[in-house]
Amino acid sequence: MRLAGKRAFVTGGKQGIGRGIIEAFMAEGAAVNTCGRGLQPDDLPENVIWYTLDVSDAEAVAEIVSIVGGTDILVNNAGVQIEKTVTESSDSDWDLVMGVNARGVFNCCRAFIPEMSQGGSIINIGSISGNAADPSMALYNASKAFVHGLTRSIAVDHGPAVRCNAICPGWIETGMLDAAFDLAHDPEKAKSDALARHAVKRFGKPADIAAMAVWLASDDSSFATGQLFTVDGGLTAASPLNPGLL
Amino acid sequence: MMLNGKIALVTGARGGIGRAIVARFLKEGATVFAADLTPEGSLDQHDEDGSHFVKLDVTQEADSVAAMDHVRTTQGKLDILVNAAGIEIEKTVEETTLEEWNQSFAVNSTGTFLTSKYAIPLMREAAKTGNSASLINFGSYDGFIADPGLAAYCATKGAVHALTRAMACDHGPEGIRVNAICPGYIDTPMLQSFFNGDGSGGGGGNIETLQQAVRDVHPTRTYGTPQDIANLVNWLASDEARYASGQLWVLDGGLSAQVQQMKL
Repeated sequence: MRLAGKRAFVTGGKQGIGRGIIEAFMAEGAAVNTCGRGLQPDDLPENVIWYTLDVSDAEAVAEIVSIVGGTDILVNNAGVQIEKTVTESSDSDWDLVMGVNARGVFNCCRAFIPEMSQGGSIINIGSISGNAADPSMALYNASKAFVHGLTRSIAVDHGPAVRCNAICPGWIETGMLDAAFDLAHDPEKAKSDALARHAVKRFGKPADIAAMAVWLASDDSSFATGQLFTVDGGLTAASPLNPGLL
Repeated sequence: MMLNGKIALVTGARGGIGRAIVARFLKEGATVFAADLTPEGSLDQHDEDGSHFVKLDVTQEADSVAAMDHVRTTQGKLDILVNAAGIEIEKTVEETTLEEWNQSFAVNSTGTFLTSKYAIPLMREAAKTGNSASLINFGSYDGFIADPGLAAYCATKGAVHALTRAMACDHGPEGIRVNAICPGYIDTPMLQSFFNGDGSGGGGGNIETLQQAVRDVHPTRTYGTPQDIANLVNWLASDEARYASGQLWVLDGGLSAQVQQMKL
């Protein structure tokens, strides 16, 4: 068990990638705390401690950190997306997306770093969309680029005590992905087109991201810091102009 | 005129992009040596454009030595070198023969090395006049992200990118700036052959549909022209770009700024 004896705090543990990471951490022997804006979900695995927390609220984050105490592993996974361009986006869209995705990561890192053990590992969830743009996702794309930049800064400023890396997932099978296909003119066709653009010919699963998170949380990765690790089934290695699909 | 009094040598000068660069350099007042395998080049036409043709097979060391000797004898210096000669082989790693692999590297990577190697002493001379000399390589957006069925080409361009940065570090102190231009889809004979289905991509489908589909994938909704590339080459060659060095300049209509565009 690669995380035996380690304490982890995973934000956004209600579903999707966050839940996948919680399950993988449990299987590797970690003691896991998690949080979300709502009440504890009924299907939360036993032994996981739930905190109701909005990560965009700095005071609330500080309070939870004082209750939890220190941690060995911090995973900043909580995130939201709004599908709009810059001119469509309102001030409240900005507050929500940047509040959770950018300020939330900042809040958790600022509050947890002084309490983290020597050799602690921070894992931020960035995105392939932080490196290249998804259309009509302006604030989301920008918020993830912020995460990538903050990841490097924390690694540089707070090493060697703490390592900090980001995982950049591609298309992962979550509720978010299903919602995107439901909006398509022809969901089945959209799905097969998207699949054809993946070298591995499948979408990712939360477990694929969790596997990278386990490695980054473990001491196996003790020389890895300040980096972005893309896990996307080969999507961004290929040119967007895929002749086979034209 | 942005290049008045400058001496330039362009390899691959009789290809689609090379011709546009030569024409622009001449218009901007440069003395231009147009280097290629034949005066007709890949376009199979001979233009009397005021440039000086130099027969140059970039894979042959003796050819590079002779070409630079010619520049030295007639001009005494070289302000601008553009390494535009290139070939592409439309195959996967498994399909590519060792001969094809070696040929790809010989032209795209070794060719860039050889002409640069023998041009640098002349460029150092040019830099002594007070303005920096400019060496411009041809990378590709394929050096960052892969087009299917172009394995050796992608690899040669990745090598050019790394060589560009290395040369910028080594020769910057001597007044030589080194940059690479990384084109996306440019309307050249290479692209037309792709549309015509000669290569891996076209598949002999309807050309109009294919061309429109290619345009539609670009944020700018068009693919580029050789003149678009020549515009940037001209700027990098000029003294306006005196602070530009060691960079890979992607010019692709925004193609690589986006995550793959799904048909949703």
